[in-house]
Amino acid sequence: MRHDTTRRRTGPAALLTVFATAALALILAFAGGTPANAASSPTPSPNASAAQSIQVWIRKASDRSNVAGVKVTVSSGSFSQTVTTGKDGKSLVGLPGGGTYKVQLDESTVPKGAGSIPSGLNPRQVVVSAGNQAVPAYFILVSAGAGTTPTPGATSGSSTAGDSDAGPSASPFELVVPRIVTGLIFGLLLALASIGVSLIYGTTGLNNFAHGELVTFGALMGYVFSAVLGLPGIVAIIAATVLGGAFGFVQDLGLWKPLRKRGVALVPLMIVSIGLSLALRYIFQFIFGPDQLVLPADNRAALILGPVRLRSTDIISAIICIVLLLLVAFVLLRTRIGKATRAVSDNRSLAAASGIDVEKVIRTVWVGAGALAGLAGVLIGYYQSLRWDTGASILLLIFAAVTLGGFGTAFGALVGSLVIGVITDVSTVFIPNNLKYVAALVVLILILLVRPQGILGKASRIG
Amino acid sequence: MDLSFLLLALGQLISPQTIAYALAALGLAVQFGFTGLLNFGQAGFMAIGGYAFAITTLRLGFPFWLAVLSTIVATTVMALILGIPTLRLRADYLAIVTIAAAEIVRYVVKTPDLIPLTGGSDGLNGSSITFDAINPIPPGSYGFGPLRYDENDLWIIIVGWIFVLLVALLVRQLMRSPWGRVIKGIREDEDAVRSLGKNVFSYKMQSLILGGALGGLATIINIIPTSLQPDNYGTQTTFFLLTIILLGGATTVFGPLVGAIVFWVVLSLADGVLTLLINSHLLPISSVQQGPIRFIIVGVALMLIVIFRPSGLVGKKREAFFA
Amino acid sequence: MPDTTAERAPLIDGAPAPGVKKLDPMVVADGVQRTFGGVHAVDVDHVEIPRGAITALIGPNGAGKTTFFNLLTGFDKPNKGSWSFDGKPIGGVAAYKVARRGMIRTFQLTKALSMLSVMENMRLGAQAQPGENIARALIPALWKPREKEVTDRALDLLARFKLDDKADDFAASLSGGQRKLLEMARALMSQPKMIMLDEPMAGVNPALTQSLLHHILDLKQTGMTVLFVEHDMHVVREIADWVIVMAEGRIVAEGYPDAVMSDQAVIDAYLGSHHDTDLGDLSEEQQAELLDETQVAVEREEDGTHG
Repeated sequence: MRHDTTRRRTGPAALLTVFATAALALILAFAGGTPANAASSPTPSPNASAAQSIQVWIRKASDRSNVAGVKVTVSSGSFSQTVTTGKDGKSLVGLPGGGTYKVQLDESTVPKGAGSIPSGLNPRQVVVSAGNQAVPAYFILVSAGAGTTPTPGATSGSSTAGDSDAGPSASPFELVVPRIVTGLIFGLLLALASIGVSLIYGTTGLNNFAHGELVTFGALMGYVFSAVLGLPGIVAIIAATVLGGAFGFVQDLGLWKPLRKRGVALVPLMIVSIGLSLALRYIFQFIFGPDQLVLPADNRAALILGPVRLRSTDIISAIICIVLLLLVAFVLLRTRIGKATRAVSDNRSLAAASGIDVEKVIRTVWVGAGALAGLAGVLIGYYQSLRWDTGASILLLIFAAVTLGGFGTAFGALVGSLVIGVITDVSTVFIPNNLKYVAALVVLILILLVRPQGILGKASRIG
Repeated sequence: MDLSFLLLALGQLISPQTIAYALAALGLAVQFGFTGLLNFGQAGFMAIGGYAFAITTLRLGFPFWLAVLSTIVATTVMALILGIPTLRLRADYLAIVTIAAAEIVRYVVKTPDLIPLTGGSDGLNGSSITFDAINPIPPGSYGFGPLRYDENDLWIIIVGWIFVLLVALLVRQLMRSPWGRVIKGIREDEDAVRSLGKNVFSYKMQSLILGGALGGLATIINIIPTSLQPDNYGTQTTFFLLTIILLGGATTVFGPLVGAIVFWVVLSLADGVLTLLINSHLLPISSVQQGPIRFIIVGVALMLIVIFRPSGLVGKKREAFFA
Repeated sequence: MPDTTAERAPLIDGAPAPGVKKLDPMVVADGVQRTFGGVHAVDVDHVEIPRGAITALIGPNGAGKTTFFNLLTGFDKPNKGSWSFDGKPIGGVAAYKVARRGMIRTFQLTKALSMLSVMENMRLGAQAQPGENIARALIPALWKPREKEVTDRALDLLARFKLDDKADDFAASLSGGQRKLLEMARALMSQPKMIMLDEPMAGVNPALTQSLLHHILDLKQTGMTVLFVEHDMHVVREIADWVIVMAEGRIVAEGYPDAVMSDQAVIDAYLGSHHDTDLGDLSEEQQAELLDETQVAVEREEDGTHG
């Protein structure tokens, strides 16, 4: 048995180092264009010196312009304070202590024509921990007739690109092109999560139904670091990635490896992952509440190319995704651990017999998948805001992407994700907004009819 | 100390919700426990069945029996659409497709454009009219303490339980017959059964259809006393059903019934205890935070059952689904 | 044990050669091709399997015998070709239909259903059971009579295979050898016209081998046609009436067992691709022949190098 003592720093440690280095490089490259952090200068208001506060911010959905002069009441128990938003659409409300506050927008004070709040979002409960400044209570005014039912992990973010900006006589080009672009970006985000699912399936045979929660975890960590702790966006992104990897590590260490050792079969393992998904999802809701959470970012269009409008977060996310996907490709193709991973995916017992430490490979895959999912989560949070069930709502899209691309092939997951992303966004030209995920799922079912092994999968025994 | 929750929990023993879940779980047991089909979209079958019943009753004015028939037709069509492409493939494909289908159903019925037909996110109310019209029980209030039922509540409880028990006996009869033998063989090794001249695809489809129909019929029982709310039929519902059948014993006929009863009684107790603790300020969480706790309990319970007692409460260890 | 040199009913119409016509063929196959990624796993021009006889399908690993076997029984679909069973075309027909037409197969990795009892396994083997229809299953009166018939036949067969005292035990509790016997007994439940045995002796201890051979010969007595895939040449010698040899997807030889064993093409096929394959005991004659050949080859080489 070969015993190479010079190669010690392999596996999870190396992978995390690689990620951290990449992220560091990005900080240097994009120091100028990082997403705005939460502590932007607040409008002076009473009790601004309180230890904890709620940041109210009211904007219009169509162009993200600030809405001034709106009355908002923050109350809890005997505490009640009414403020008026300033020219920047904001108002900072000092609070007497931690707890759950009701934030209610007085719609009669909204300027005519600015729009209204979709039902269910006003009033809302905002949970504030003692010592937390500028906890967001962001309101987006939707113009009458936009009529979209908010769906989980919903689209209020992605409507920047060409959605309500195109007038009634918009050409097909103006309608479709921006959606292809946003679709590709969404597809890249999806790819980060899907590759993990594919690798986990390839090396362990497990269809991980709790993968959505790895994504949500990253998004929530990003939220904690940026919105709650007020740190710069890049820090939040790195934190989400690192913590995601750590979560993956803990899951394999504490749950999956012991079950593997026990010889639990694949179907029961799948069901365990379902139970885990359920538990985690609602633990997230328990801690973070049922409402939408917004990652503080500059949502104005930073790049306008014809009908395509992209925010700075979109561009940065896309670049981060591409860099990381190239990184993953490099790792899988050129590094020793990558080749070992592919060997284990291909034939586990053969790989073990050739001296590959299968357990180490699997542990590395979990760390990598967790980190990628965490990163995907925080970027999705910037892309479209997040909720406790954001990850769960895209889990199906992830599975659709993996199936479409070909089960067990990481590159298939990438291709599938891009396709699903584009289909999802382009479909909104033809069908109501809240059905866009449905389009992707229908495509999934159709693909299974025609080519069950997916685009890149092998046609052998799939039945 | 308000201990009325104990009696309420007891009420879960017979409540329509328990009946409905027992029936839907029985359907899932036929598909998953007996045949080995990974139907993770039973909630979708339930939703389709429920909407078929409610829409035909409320919008088309169908009499009760015809509306029930529509439910069966609707779930059968859904089973065919999902089964034909996937039953010839590996089991995981069916799992993903069924979850996807269930989500599609839920998204579609919530579409604002379809509100006149489906009631959108608010769902449909009042589909009990045809059923209540044939209620022979005289009007009045029955029961004791906090467990009070009016004549319509009593009617659905009685009819519901009789129906579930009848169906359970029928399913047991099926499973003890040569048909059941083929099904059990398919669960273990399809190729062996194929080599003996049985049309495996056809049997799997029959199982899928039967289980799906039971899910649809279950929803009728669920919505008659209350209303049809699309978000009650999301993936969490399928996972509840999965927990129920594993709790009670996935490969038995009465396991799902026992599981449903235990499930709802325990959850009701847990809710009651939590409320008590929160109101007595013994538990420092807000009432908003109480909601998710039942789901966390179920999720953890599901994991523990699968890992430590896969044969469930009623099932024999030897016949555990996961040997 | 049958004496393979004794007089036997002629099977063929002509001289032994690949694709030779049989006097009374049960299976006739034409132009059967199965390709995997550009490689012909099976490429059979013409082959006929004689009725009422025991035919062995042999060949080195990778010869395509299992693939061909799977094609014939409907467990795989060909890229090209057609074949008939008992006069009726059956190429490309689904596996379960093939079984219903009377061609039952067993599996190399025995598929006795562990979660069912031995008796239930046997009952599963019977066909034409009204109780297997979902509607009729609900009314016991409609299927109890047939169930009784099936159970009686099962008991008979189990007795023949000496498994009758295990009838109510779970198949999981049987030994590996007993499971093989169960699979064979179960295959006979539907009174098939032809039995296809996939490496029946695989993983079987020598004591059981005799028992299995005995049972297979019994099958022939009842007029059944048998085709079996086998590696073990001793077994082939003992019970086969006819041997078909495959190599690299094609049929390289056909003939009576002892003739085929000494066929040059066969020896080449085996020595060519797998030097360690046991050809069975070579007769003294064959050993001498082999030595001579090797000697000649060595001498030629030496001559060559010495110019």
